[in-house]
Amino acid sequence: MSGKVIVIGGGLAGLMSVIKLAERGQKVDLVSLVPCKRSHSVCAQGGINAAVNTKGEGDSTWEHFDDTIYGGDFLANQTPVKNMIEAAPSIINLMDRMGVQFNRTPEGFLDVRRLGGAKYSRTVFAGATTGQQLIYALDEQVRRYEDEGLVTRYEEWELLSIVRDEEGCCRGAVVQDMKSLEIQVFPADAVILATGGPGMIYVRSTNSTINTGFAAATAYMQGATYANGEFVQIHPSAIPGRDKLRLMSESIRGDGGRVWVYKDGKPWYFLEEWYPAYGNMVPRDIATRAIFKVCVDMKLGVDGENKVYLDITHLDPHEIDRKLAGVVDIYEKFIGDDPRKVPMETFPAVHYSMGGLWVDFNQMTNIPGLFAAGECEYQYHGANRLGGNSLVAAIYAGTVVGPKAFEYSNGLKQHYTDLPLALFERAKEREVAKQKALFAMQGQENPYKLHQELGEWMVNNVTVVRNNNQLLTTDQKIQELMERYKNIGVGNGAAWGNQILPFTRRLWGMLSLARVITLGAYHRNESRGAHYKPDYPERDDENWLKTTKAEWTANGPNFSYEPVDTSFIKPRKRRYDVAKEVTV
Amino acid sequence: MTVTHTFFWRKLHSLSGILPLGIFLMVHLFINSMATLGIEDFNRGVALLHSIPYLWFLELVVIFIPIIYHALYGVWLVYLTKNNTLNYRYFRNWLFYLQRVTAIITLLFVIWHVAVLRFSEGFINSNLDFEFVRTALNEPVILILYLFGMLASFGHFANGLWSFLVSWGVTVGEQAQRTAAYACFAVFIILTAVGINALLAFI
Amino acid sequence: MSKDVKFVIKRRANPQSAPYIEEFLIPYFPKMNVVAALMEIQKNPVNTKGERTTPVAWDCNCLEEVCGACTMVINGQARQACSALVDQLTQPIYLAPLTKFPLVQDLVVDRKVMFDNLRKVKAWIEIDGTHDMGPGPRVSPKVQEQAYALSKCMTCGCCMEACPNVNSKSKFIGPAPIAQVDLMNSHPTGALQRERRLEALMNEGGIADCGNAQNCIKACPKEIPLTRSIARLNRATTFFGIKGWLNK
Repeated sequence: MSGKVIVIGGGLAGLMSVIKLAERGQKVDLVSLVPCKRSHSVCAQGGINAAVNTKGEGDSTWEHFDDTIYGGDFLANQTPVKNMIEAAPSIINLMDRMGVQFNRTPEGFLDVRRLGGAKYSRTVFAGATTGQQLIYALDEQVRRYEDEGLVTRYEEWELLSIVRDEEGCCRGAVVQDMKSLEIQVFPADAVILATGGPGMIYVRSTNSTINTGFAAATAYMQGATYANGEFVQIHPSAIPGRDKLRLMSESIRGDGGRVWVYKDGKPWYFLEEWYPAYGNMVPRDIATRAIFKVCVDMKLGVDGENKVYLDITHLDPHEIDRKLAGVVDIYEKFIGDDPRKVPMETFPAVHYSMGGLWVDFNQMTNIPGLFAAGECEYQYHGANRLGGNSLVAAIYAGTVVGPKAFEYSNGLKQHYTDLPLALFERAKEREVAKQKALFAMQGQENPYKLHQELGEWMVNNVTVVRNNNQLLTTDQKIQELMERYKNIGVGNGAAWGNQILPFTRRLWGMLSLARVITLGAYHRNESRGAHYKPDYPERDDENWLKTTKAEWTANGPNFSYEPVDTSFIKPRKRRYDVAKEVTV
Repeated sequence: MTVTHTFFWRKLHSLSGILPLGIFLMVHLFINSMATLGIEDFNRGVALLHSIPYLWFLELVVIFIPIIYHALYGVWLVYLTKNNTLNYRYFRNWLFYLQRVTAIITLLFVIWHVAVLRFSEGFINSNLDFEFVRTALNEPVILILYLFGMLASFGHFANGLWSFLVSWGVTVGEQAQRTAAYACFAVFIILTAVGINALLAFI
Repeated sequence: MSKDVKFVIKRRANPQSAPYIEEFLIPYFPKMNVVAALMEIQKNPVNTKGERTTPVAWDCNCLEEVCGACTMVINGQARQACSALVDQLTQPIYLAPLTKFPLVQDLVVDRKVMFDNLRKVKAWIEIDGTHDMGPGPRVSPKVQEQAYALSKCMTCGCCMEACPNVNSKSKFIGPAPIAQVDLMNSHPTGALQRERRLEALMNEGGIADCGNAQNCIKACPKEIPLTRSIARLNRATTFFGIKGWLNK
């Protein structure tokens, strides 16, 4: 076992894959843009799904599977989803053994709550900071392997590009120390990308500022296929801020929160009226579209804005503190009102990308030796993700990708040590040259302002409701921004601690992926999950039960399509006004 | 053993402030208080102290070595601290700062006090008695310095006692620590009252 | 209403260069926080003298006070820039980097030492492996609630900044890792390695270096009962130390 694996990204998926590799005695380099404990996984609030059936409701992994496929509007490949759902309860047990402080029942068992799109309580949670608690536990386990000398952390380092050999296989990564901007090449037998979503393309979203999707974008620009980019989840509840739209967890509704607006002077619980079977517990795409309809079409939004009440004033304050303290604190700190006493005012906000790098069932991209796991890949959520499924998908993908990358690297005939050094030197020189070119950019445009413009266009045209002419104009706008990009001025700051330069580099990645999202949406003439076109309001399985695959070319993304694996559940109409039929 | 000596020395520092130094402080104060009974009683008390067998040994082990250790290590601890009471104006932080200020005052006071009373008068001239102390304390400057030094050492002791209870894991909860703080404040008040009373007996 | 908010920022290009003060005027907007103000500087890096300057460097990430990245000294005290609302601050607003960590640039510091400290005190639960072994130990809701309070530590460094005993002269590891030992030791599985962590805490720079200034508990943005953890571990290390010595 002389090989080496590099894991890029220190969120849930990345850390889990590191643990799986280290457990096999594999030496791992862990490269993370931020200290792992600050990864975006900390922002996950509501919980992690697994059909543990501890409330005696008759939940089963099959129900969870069916909810996930149904909630994803049948776009997800069913085999990997089924495997994930079946592994979910054991993942919970594992995290529990690692010391995650999940909420407990009086008898001492794991407590569960309900989240949207499900009829059962199957979301295990740690207050309203579940993602934070999970990542801390994994970070601690990795620290243990670091202590044993198996893992080397490179925190505050960024991936610039991957190294591809003559056969096109991935053989390492070119990375950069974010303090000195020094560029290095790390040769390896396999590289795992676990680099999160691209929410920053929209600027104002529930995402962390690091979620630029640059790692996925750079892989895409080097030949990795990007799948289902047009499926971007808009979360129904967030609070506004000029710097960020802060998420108000779905668990607020799960624990009894009600959504309403005033109609004829009286509270109108429109979700409960329109979707009697699920009420406030409809999936996110449904809730967001309903809010859009109420606020935009019916003009009933609070203060005439795209805003509704999310009300927990009727709940027991002690229960709120026990289960929702984390989110309630955020609301109190940033808005100043106490949600225990005054109904919260919330907006829909860009939240999650169902799409991502295309991977096979072994989590490997179309580039041999390059793997992907977590939000940066597309595999587990179809056209819409259910609340509580992102954490399980990230951790599960980590448990798959670690062993698969291990197998791959050990099965190689030629290890990276057998390859000519010149290969790696060339890869490094390319990035050094690119950096030099970036430093030389002394035009008039401010990269942060260009980014803001991009975000405004994307939010206005590529979110809840999509129209083909708007999508086309948006793509033209993105191309215009790409033209103006060439006129960016990065200033004359030194390399040390420079933040503009890396940001400018990431901006190009965001612009490239923005085109994938926008044009992917343009081509898909149907409505499915989070992708909704009023001109094509119905799902069209005949033409569009397909995965979108985008390949990078110098002239923009090139699209192709592949059929979806529906080997377990036959696609059926998705509706939440009546109970879902049994499929077993 | 991987545990370094820092832990031991640090704990010993905390302990030595209470045992024997705190106990000695109280005994000392008690003898001084004999002055309130009258000149004869005080002189008898002093004479009794001086007649204790192996006095030099007791003084060395129970008083001088602990004092020197507590002082030297304490000065090191004062040096290690970077006080920030201006930015963090919390009650405990002020006490933490005052603990260090009183440490230095007490140290200077004790050096002066011991040099004059124990060494030059006690050993060399052997004329330490009520009269000597009275003459000295009737000098206003000396009286004020004594008052100041006593307050500093009592404060240092009382707050040190509170800190000792936390550092040795006796008071753990917030409520327990608060109650201990009241108790330690009471100790400070009692010591101060007794000390001033003894001081005034000489005037 | 349009008014400007004045920011007085302590800047430094790199650890070797001299620090200097630069002032910025940012147009006020409702619910403005320090991060949003710094973002405005990025978009228009012009100081009060009207000179073009390099944008101020700072760390940020989640912007909702769960990642700990944007911690800096705001009006004299360490806190997160994202939850520092301009309406609640006295103006002008003074920004400076944390002083207890090596400086990188402007408001960015390197807090690696905090993660190293977690490693020093062995702050993890030692599991046999990730293979399926069934559920973990059962825990009462009360115990979980106490542990959860400790597990919210985001390694932001506020307690380190506020602690007078954490500084370049001292080796004190600070309050944060001590509370993590308390967390790990209170877990049924973690307790099996309790003594290794106590030993680590009794090492140089360990728990004995706490001077009970108790600023940490006031400075912690997550209201972690740090002083209680410290006192509890004072007791544990005292007993452990005496027992170890008597059994020697």
